[in-house]
Amino acid sequence: MVVKKKSAPGPYQPVMARTWWLQHRYFQMYMLREATVLPLLFFIGCLLYGLYCLNLGEVQWQHWLAFMAQPWVVLLNLLAFIASLFHAKTFFELFPRVMPLARPGLMIAGQWLATLLVATGLVLLLGGWL
Amino acid sequence: MIQKNAPPKRSDEPVWWALFSAGGVCFAVVVPGAILALALLPALGVITADSLSYPRISELLYQSLWGLAGLAFVGSVICLPLFHAAHRIHHGLHDLQLGGGLLSKVLCYGSAAVISLLALYLIS
Repeated sequence: MVVKKKSAPGPYQPVMARTWWLQHRYFQMYMLREATVLPLLFFIGCLLYGLYCLNLGEVQWQHWLAFMAQPWVVLLNLLAFIASLFHAKTFFELFPRVMPLARPGLMIAGQWLATLLVATGLVLLLGGWL
Repeated sequence: MIQKNAPPKRSDEPVWWALFSAGGVCFAVVVPGAILALALLPALGVITADSLSYPRISELLYQSLWGLAGLAFVGSVICLPLFHAAHRIHHGLHDLQLGGGLLSKVLCYGSAAVISLLALYLIS
């Protein structure tokens, strides 16, 4: 081990606290974006439970529908929905910067349109209107 | 000292980044609609239990799209977003100085792979 002398200091070694990302709004938003996957994992867990119930049969499937209607489950899934939209906003803004194919505004609008079309399709299909 | 003649070690990061990226597209484009149709609108009563009945959902998942609907759904709403989440958690742990090494890498991507296989098994 090298003992640092006052007269000959070693290379500057910055100390980084675990909470470094709290210091600046940009990094706070970065961490918030990283955290969008946590409610996503909850929704994926719900879906896995649903697939498991579907395999077991009709009675279990009814249990899953009841589970999905519980207020705390709906609340967490609402959080997952908001998180997915926040993720989408950040992701769509990156695409024109990585691959500038058209005007950024146009590309972002096109991606939101894709999300809207898929959502409309899924709602119409699962709602029995298609 | 870096040996100049040694062949550079090929990074495996492109594989994880491709899965992260594909999962990110699915998370942004497909997942919002899936949450709306399967969680929020049924809770609001807009989508009824009748339209989510066991025979109807079984048929949609196992038979529509020439039997590929289940694979498309599980792939775009479960498997790829799982690898996206694994990447973010692995790097997030590094940011929080809690991991980021080989252990968290194996745990994150490994559990994404295992859960993906489980989901694929459930629709097979």
